Amino acid sequence: MLSRDYRDIIGGAILLVFGLWVAWYAGQHYETGTFRRMGPGMFPMILGLILAGFGIAVAIPAFFRTGTKLEIRLWTPLFVLLGVASFALLVRPFGLFPAIVSVTVISSLAELRFRPVTLVLLSAALCLMVWLIFRVGLGLPMAMYRWPF
Amino acid sequence: MDLFSNIALGLNTALSTTNLFYCFIGVFIGTIIGVIPGVGAISAISMLLPITFYLEPTTALIMLGGIWYGTTYGGSIAAILLNIPGTPANAVTCMDGHPMARQGRGGVALLTAALSSFAGGSIGILLLMLFGPVIATYALSFGSAEYFALMVMGLVAASTISDGSAIKGLAMVVLGILFGCVGADIYTGTPRFNFGTLELTDAISLVALAMGIFGVSEVIASVRNVHTSSIDPKSVTFRAMKPTRDEVKRSAGPVLRGSSIGAFFGALPGTGPSVAAFIAYAAEKRISRHPEKFGKGAVEGIAAPESANNSADQTAFIPTLSLGIPGSPTMALMLGALMIHGIAPGPSLVNEQPSLFWGLIMSFWIGNVMLVILNVPLISVWVRLLTIPYHLLYPAVLVFICIGTYSVHQSSFEVGLVVFFGFIGYMMRILDWPAAPLLLGFVLGPLMEEHFRRAMLLSRGDFMTFIDRPISATVMAITACLLIWGVVAALRERRKVKFRNAE
Repeated sequence: MLSRDYRDIIGGAILLVFGLWVAWYAGQHYETGTFRRMGPGMFPMILGLILAGFGIAVAIPAFFRTGTKLEIRLWTPLFVLLGVASFALLVRPFGLFPAIVSVTVISSLAELRFRPVTLVLLSAALCLMVWLIFRVGLGLPMAMYRWPF
Repeated sequence: MDLFSNIALGLNTALSTTNLFYCFIGVFIGTIIGVIPGVGAISAISMLLPITFYLEPTTALIMLGGIWYGTTYGGSIAAILLNIPGTPANAVTCMDGHPMARQGRGGVALLTAALSSFAGGSIGILLLMLFGPVIATYALSFGSAEYFALMVMGLVAASTISDGSAIKGLAMVVLGILFGCVGADIYTGTPRFNFGTLELTDAISLVALAMGIFGVSEVIASVRNVHTSSIDPKSVTFRAMKPTRDEVKRSAGPVLRGSSIGAFFGALPGTGPSVAAFIAYAAEKRISRHPEKFGKGAVEGIAAPESANNSADQTAFIPTLSLGIPGSPTMALMLGALMIHGIAPGPSLVNEQPSLFWGLIMSFWIGNVMLVILNVPLISVWVRLLTIPYHLLYPAVLVFICIGTYSVHQSSFEVGLVVFFGFIGYMMRILDWPAAPLLLGFVLGPLMEEHFRRAMLLSRGDFMTFIDRPISATVMAITACLLIWGVVAALRERRKVKFRNAE
């Protein structure tokens, strides 16, 4: 147990900062106008201020109660997100198949185990499935592989 | 009779070969997704949303709808056999379903679940047919002030009634509306919050946001947490499903009561199949002459929640289709699909797109029949699915998330957005912020802004317009009550420490 509920203190603080920033940014960059004729900045500015208010409302009571420890897993989200990011980077220059293999291999590391044979089979099966569904079945114009050099 | 010609029109639409095929695909995928714990209806629908861009809007909605109610059917299988709810709506089914399975009566439990689901679904569809058009006709006279008030009520209800803190839910709604502000301003065309990028000028893609916040973060939370247990697929067969006469007789009452409870809570914004199933179970236990049998394998304990959650699945379409106001994130995705096809949601939908509205409703009947056929004789196929280990499943889910997002605009930037929202979604899980209100806010945000600004323009900047008009005033009063109720509930629950397990 923690002496304060840091989960909500951190969360509330993030909302407060983000809300104020949005309100400031909207006010700085876009016309706010009047209530009768609102500009593009008015609606986001009001919302930003409301969000900041909610941030305070969440954070303040959290100072006066105990909380549980935050459980943050570092590697699992990292590998999952890296896998998706690698797809974004690879799909345009190299095509779908390399991108699929990359997502499969990198994201499977999130399990913190390495199973080489399973990975090869899984990647191959996924490539086949994607080819069947998206190219043969739906006929989407996506390159399966490409060599940019 | 007008209703009959509408039904004929709907059947005509729903029975076309294409629509039948996609209805089948929808309920089939829905069942798979429902059976497998760790993948929910929202991720499945957002994964398949891009595919629907290539379909007719009616066909697209028929398929997405099939996934939605199909998961509730499939979810009961995992709940009964593994004691793990396949979807949150099936959580209550575990209480009596799993004890039955352990007593060797799993087959009967599965049959009861499938048939109660069918009965509940049918009653839900009937109510949707009766009330949907009536509400839509009534709502045709609504102006911008009424719409804005209704949307505020829908969002407030969705964030205060659902589990967790009301303030957090409301904050996430606001955050969602803010994400919805990104892109060109509706009245002036000024690009907002695009930070000089071309890609963000066009608004954040609904697919990327939903995939990141629900799909990717669900995978992150489930990896190394979802364990597949070993069950023998041969233990559950079609033959073992035959119930005794007494069990059939005992289920009839709970099904009727469960369906009514489900229909009510399905149509309310904020509550949905999960709440409906829970309340139906509690009500059944209270009125039962043998409450001590509940939790030890009572058929009533399966019939009531399973009919309630399916009934709620169908009536959830009432506010979504007749008012254009979704009560749950899944319904928000349905509206998103409509908007992507250029169809404005709202009360005029029923009259302007009768073949869509009635075709969709008739497809629900067909889909429910298909589901009973899929769930009863083919049960052993689904049981086998439960034995697929998660470490093979989640890379496949991620691959489909990536390709689904990429295929919308052939844009790797949007796949990057999935990474961004996946990170946000995981942060929200750590900090215990609910994700559903964010998606609702995101979908409704642009509509709300439009109606708000129009109402203010018409009233010349006078905020009283929301209180002067009787319908808008009533809706605003209900909203105020909801807010007060939310605050009171929050004060009461303050001392309770909540543990939220990653689903």
